[in-house]
Amino acid sequence: MHSKSKVIWIDGVSCYGCSHSFYNYPEIKELLEKIELIYHPLLPSNEFKFQRCDILIIEGAIKNNFLRLDFDLIELISKLINLSKKIILIGTCSVYGGIFGEGVLFNKENKGKFFKYKDKIISIPGCPPHPEWIAYAIEMILNKKRLILDKENRPKEIFSYTSHMGCVRNEYFEWKIDAKNFGEKEGCLFYEQGCQGPYTHSSCNKILWNEVNSKPRAGTPCFGCTEKTFPKKNLFKTETFMGIPANIPLGVSKRAYLTLAGVAKSLKNERLERKLIDDSE
Amino acid sequence: MSKEEKKLEIMKTALNLFAKNGFYNTTIADIAREMGMSVGNMYNYFPSKESLAKELLIYTSKLFGEELKKINEMDISSKEKIKKIVELYFKMAKEEPELVDYFMRVYLSNKEIFANGCEGMLCVSAFVTEIMIFFEEGVRRKELKNQDFFAAFGLFMGYLGGLVFLFREGILGKDIEEYTNSVSENIYNALKI
Amino acid sequence: MIVNKKIITKIEGEATLKLYKKNEIIEFAQIEFWQYRGIEEFLKNRHYLDACVINPRVCGICGHSHLIATAKAIEDALNIEITEKAKILREITLGLEIIQNHIKWFYLTLYPTIKKIDFFKAFEFSKEIAKIIAIIAGQFPHNSYAIPGGVTCDLTNLDILKIKNSLKKMFDKYQNVIDIKGDSKDLENLFNGISKELGKSINKFLVLGDNLYFKSNGDVEFVKEEQSISFNKNVLYKDEFVEVGPLARNLNNKLIKVIYNSYKDSIYTRIFARIYEVNLIFKYLLKIIDEININEKSYIKPKNCSGTGIGIVEAPRGSLIHKVEIENEKIKNYEIIVPTQFNLSNGTKNKPSAAQASLMNENEKFADFIFKCFDICAICVSH
Ligand code: SF4
Ligand code: SF4
Repeated sequence: MHSKSKVIWIDGVSCYGCSHSFYNYPEIKELLEKIELIYHPLLPSNEFKFQRCDILIIEGAIKNNFLRLDFDLIELISKLINLSKKIILIGTCSVYGGIFGEGVLFNKENKGKFFKYKDKIISIPGCPPHPEWIAYAIEMILNKKRLILDKENRPKEIFSYTSHMGCVRNEYFEWKIDAKNFGEKEGCLFYEQGCQGPYTHSSCNKILWNEVNSKPRAGTPCFGCTEKTFPKKNLFKTETFMGIPANIPLGVSKRAYLTLAGVAKSLKNERLERKLIDDSE
Repeated sequence: MSKEEKKLEIMKTALNLFAKNGFYNTTIADIAREMGMSVGNMYNYFPSKESLAKELLIYTSKLFGEELKKINEMDISSKEKIKKIVELYFKMAKEEPELVDYFMRVYLSNKEIFANGCEGMLCVSAFVTEIMIFFEEGVRRKELKNQDFFAAFGLFMGYLGGLVFLFREGILGKDIEEYTNSVSENIYNALKI
Repeated sequence: MIVNKKIITKIEGEATLKLYKKNEIIEFAQIEFWQYRGIEEFLKNRHYLDACVINPRVCGICGHSHLIATAKAIEDALNIEITEKAKILREITLGLEIIQNHIKWFYLTLYPTIKKIDFFKAFEFSKEIAKIIAIIAGQFPHNSYAIPGGVTCDLTNLDILKIKNSLKKMFDKYQNVIDIKGDSKDLENLFNGISKELGKSINKFLVLGDNLYFKSNGDVEFVKEEQSISFNKNVLYKDEFVEVGPLARNLNNKLIKVIYNSYKDSIYTRIFARIYEVNLIFKYLLKIIDEININEKSYIKPKNCSGTGIGIVEAPRGSLIHKVEIENEKIKNYEIIVPTQFNLSNGTKNKPSAAQASLMNENEKFADFIFKCFDICAICVSH
């Protein structure tokens, strides 16, 4: 038997939320037993030292003049990247920068400081990323399987979906019925409440959170937390130009979308106009 | 003559009669007579006056929509687009007064006949979609003020409609096309950022 | 005197602990946090609702407390009342966050400073707790379901049933960690050969939050921040250092009081209070879940758009304070004071903070143990 893959998990500027998300992975024990975790900020591991590794996992953004493990963060990452075979960037911070700084691969829309290592990088954005997405990336490497990536190095098996796909409010979206308010089962959050589901690459309504739910299902708009633009301003309000959503679903032309929307709005779905659950017959 | 062409001819004839005698006073028999067709044959093309009215509406909306689309696709400012739209509208009002009349008066004042299968904006969607795109892009390019769609739509279309009405009633002192500049200017000033 | 500077990892974030020792005995300790992430600045000029997305990102383990504190602060500023239903749901999710925090801290942070343990026990538990939060709030960590005016979810009785059943199941399961009588094999094992008198501290306690069954014993008006040697500011109450957290807020519990009477504010008492608190929270949640009236509104739209407010909650580590100033729906100013700042302030040898005091006069081999029993959140401190 060959030896286990060596993994170093390092934190940049972050909230440790990606780690805490990962702890909810149902098969975490089995997964950790398959690897040799030589460093993790919280999970039991040895003292940190520079060494070669098979997989480097980076959580958190990068930033100048930030100390981590008593090293300058950017120098630390730069050294580790050179010592590792594959790199998994977990979380929107480490892929694009997110709230806290610059990403490793990208700096928001632009190339990031370590863009030249693109070939050995896998991006798992999300604030936080779903535990299964993280586990998936690790497993695929362990099993030497080919990952199909998009141009931002995100695995297509996860990120070619939109978070809108599979939302229980989809029928309301179809018929252009907006949620009248927060805190209601009825209505889609795309028109007023700022839901970014239809144009956010992620699979939150397919691979459910904590195996049971998702933000839009719970009445919270999708904030597009897997995207380079996260966090936009006015996250609870749909940006509109003259009442027309400024961002429309991925892959459709504005003309086609507006035509379809007009048709759906004109023809009503009686059932969806009413409360889902009430005392009427 | 193909069936489609024939239909178009019937619609044009109907338009004329609607304009002359009013929508309610015009019957299918009147239209058939004017076309030199039997009433029975007419029904092969349009099963009812309502269906004719509806198709007419879709037709006009498409016609306007296509012209608007050309304007939308031009690489010009919203201000210039407004002028082009006003020009288009006034030109149509002069050249095809029945059409504009129909679109403005018959549709808006006889909404009940469009209740079935023509709900909401359904039959005018080609036109409304292009107007939406015009507005949306104007705001996106930071040329027009971001406001409620209908507030802007009403201002634009209501104004044009009002002028065409005055023109058709023979009240305007000058030729309607002479108002193009001042009307465009006013609309732009009302909508700009 | 020897000075030993050590970077503390395996906590939420990192800190430096400087120990001044004579032989092996710690005479004085200084704690430094050196990171800064600029959340308060980031919030300025944004719509106040954005704070419900940004603020949970203060911390991956107690972000939900930050969310609730945010909603409360804004509600205070804009004079917003929420329904009972919304209140109860928030209590449940916040209580559950405390529970998952404590169990992770016990097996993952604290235990390994002394002994090896199967830390997966913590995850077995915390992931189920996270699941209950997710039924209500959409996901854990990092949801934003509590917004000024109420909550975004609209549960059915079916959901409530699921939550209740899971709560019961997890409460039962928790009896293996520490039971309702206070017996805990794992805790006794941990202290096997270690004095329960270890790490006595300043014996001054503060509770500011009124959530769950906790009772406030102070007024936020007397909380002051002052510069310190570290990046973060010291936090004092009436010019004194105080201890906040599970021990402070559970001293009125009979069982905890008995332990306190024997061992005072030693780390044993502190640890006991912390893991026992989980039982008390479970009991409380099982009570209030039956009080939910599903027909009440989840959310009421706020009317005002300017004002200043304070939101306080008892978070996993103690009293958490958020202050906000809103002008025309935009955030003008935002300030956060976290529990770790209270407990880990940098005082002097004569006037030490809670963590400093508990380290002083103890053998340095216990430094990590004593230090971590405060469940340090460097992440929160470096907001
Ligand atoms: S709420 Fe969001 S994710 Fe759900 S259907 Fe509407 S747009 Fe899609
Ligand atoms: S629903 Fe949207 S904001 Fe929520 S986790 Fe998924 S991608 Fe992120």
